[in-house]
Amino acid sequence: MKFLPYLLKHLRRNWFRTTLTVLAMALCIFLFCTLQTVLAEINGLLEGTSARRLVTRHAVSLVFNVPLSYGARIQSVPGVKRVALNAWFGGSLPAKKEETKAEESSTADFSNFFPNLAVDPEPFFAMYPEYVLPPEQFRDFMGELRGAVIGRKLADRFGWKLGDTFFLESFIPPHRKPDGPFEFIVKGIFDTDPVKYPGTDTNIMIFNHKYLYEATGRRLGAGLFYVEIDDPEKAGEVARAIDALFENSDAQTRTETEKAFAASFVAMAGNLTLLLNGIGLAVTFTILLVVANTMSIAVRERRKEIAVLKTLGFTSKLVMGLIVAESVLIGVLGGALGIGASQGLMWLLTHTPGIQDALAGLGLSSLSLRPLVAALGFANAVFLGFVAGFLPALNAYRARITDMLRTV
Amino acid sequence: MAMVDVRNVTKVYRRDAEELVVLNGLSLQVDEGDYAALMGPSGSGKSTLLNLIAGIDKPTSGEVIVAGTDVARLDETGLAEFRSHNVGFIFQFYNLIPVLTATENVELPLLLTHLSKAERRERAATALKVVGLADRASHYPRQLSGGQEQRVAIARAIVTDPKVLVADEPTGDLDAKSATEILDLMGTLNRDFKKTIVMVTHDPRAAERAKTQHHLEKGVLRD
Repeated sequence: MKFLPYLLKHLRRNWFRTTLTVLAMALCIFLFCTLQTVLAEINGLLEGTSARRLVTRHAVSLVFNVPLSYGARIQSVPGVKRVALNAWFGGSLPAKKEETKAEESSTADFSNFFPNLAVDPEPFFAMYPEYVLPPEQFRDFMGELRGAVIGRKLADRFGWKLGDTFFLESFIPPHRKPDGPFEFIVKGIFDTDPVKYPGTDTNIMIFNHKYLYEATGRRLGAGLFYVEIDDPEKAGEVARAIDALFENSDAQTRTETEKAFAASFVAMAGNLTLLLNGIGLAVTFTILLVVANTMSIAVRERRKEIAVLKTLGFTSKLVMGLIVAESVLIGVLGGALGIGASQGLMWLLTHTPGIQDALAGLGLSSLSLRPLVAALGFANAVFLGFVAGFLPALNAYRARITDMLRTV
Repeated sequence: MAMVDVRNVTKVYRRDAEELVVLNGLSLQVDEGDYAALMGPSGSGKSTLLNLIAGIDKPTSGEVIVAGTDVARLDETGLAEFRSHNVGFIFQFYNLIPVLTATENVELPLLLTHLSKAERRERAATALKVVGLADRASHYPRQLSGGQEQRVAIARAIVTDPKVLVADEPTGDLDAKSATEILDLMGTLNRDFKKTIVMVTHDPRAAERAKTQHHLEKGVLRD
């Protein structure tokens, strides 16, 4: 520690160069942390899936509904335990929540967007043990067509409690009703066990599909069907059997595991993991060269001083250690700055209207820097600093005092 | 008793196939408390001899015994330790660290000791007082004159209370007045603080201040 002031003074010697190097390092760690957080969040979404659940949807696109009658037919397939229909409601809180009357249609407020699903409540909650809802609340929910069940995170976000009323209006035209937004009453608040079910998001609202169906003139189909199966090992066999049922119908289906279904969203952006890791690696390598170059120049400029230190009795190892420490210090400063900037960006994204909605739609509403990613980013910065400083330090280690003193 | 005992030392520099004999079987003794001046033309080997005495270089053959230690037998780490305990080096161009204040420059060798920060600061202040720069303690090298810089360098050299002070043309970069002040200071260190001093110089006036003078020519002592 007694050498720290000495190191800091050297870093301040050419503050402009040091600042630029620290900023370059910070940019590297910022990108690393941000990209890895996005990847971790996406992987978290995939972790929140179950091997016991399949998803059956329209073979062409998620945009098209499948007939409600498919539910009963899927249920008849051997190996299927239960079936729950699901529709992505796409509702948003009306822009003027306080003044809005149920009969008035209003502009949707996307700044407070959150995922909301219309489902078959009984089979849905039976096949989703991730959502822990007290039985009496479930009973209340089933007894009220306008009832809604919300996740804990959503309840905390809006300060909603049991019995509260709110209105949602969908941006999907078939999900709108002529007399204005849908009215919902909070009948249940569910929690989840983050240890047992990591990746389960509670920033979500669930309501009875029957409400949507009745209110929109009984013309809606199902967005998709969640299918719980008896044996995960037979997922492929069951999926093929389901799709075979509708092979010759107008609305052919595509059935896959819930994980494959979730992964298909990620695949829409190409091989995201490879792309993000590739960017991270390229940036890291570039910054390594930048910092190594800076340290080389710094050491070259100080050859005489290094000779003086050695003359005073500093061992070559100690001199080498001081140079590496200086480089690592740049890494530490840059790392801390990069991690802070990454966390700041996450906060900004999750608190900026519009972007916040987009993230919520992707299931990334809780985007934040994970401690493991931050630790990895910091370790990366320290490692980069070490590697960048090692070669110049080794040169200083090897250099003879008499040779360095002759340097002009 | 000899503080510095150089016995039959040869120093050869090799560059590719070429061999340059800088010191050729040289022997020299400097007694404890002596103030010796090494003189000679450029390339005579006086700075090389000084480097051997200071333990920053090793002879090709022969013995260099300083304060009872044969420098030639020490490895890299041993030499560094030897220098930190026994030698104070005064350079021609001062070689202060520009980002450090006078106190911090003087304190530098003490970072290798187990002294506390307060003790280090106290000793650095004492050394600066000895060289008459107590009032310049917080000044950076760029804020000091050449003579003052050299005095800070001398304070740095004496702060660990070394047995031998070696000076490589300490007045070579100074005007006459500053050179006189530095020579006065070195005389004081020798006379009042009993420091053994070995000084390389081209300047006859500086050499006159020394108690003994040695002349080198082509790697051997002439007298």
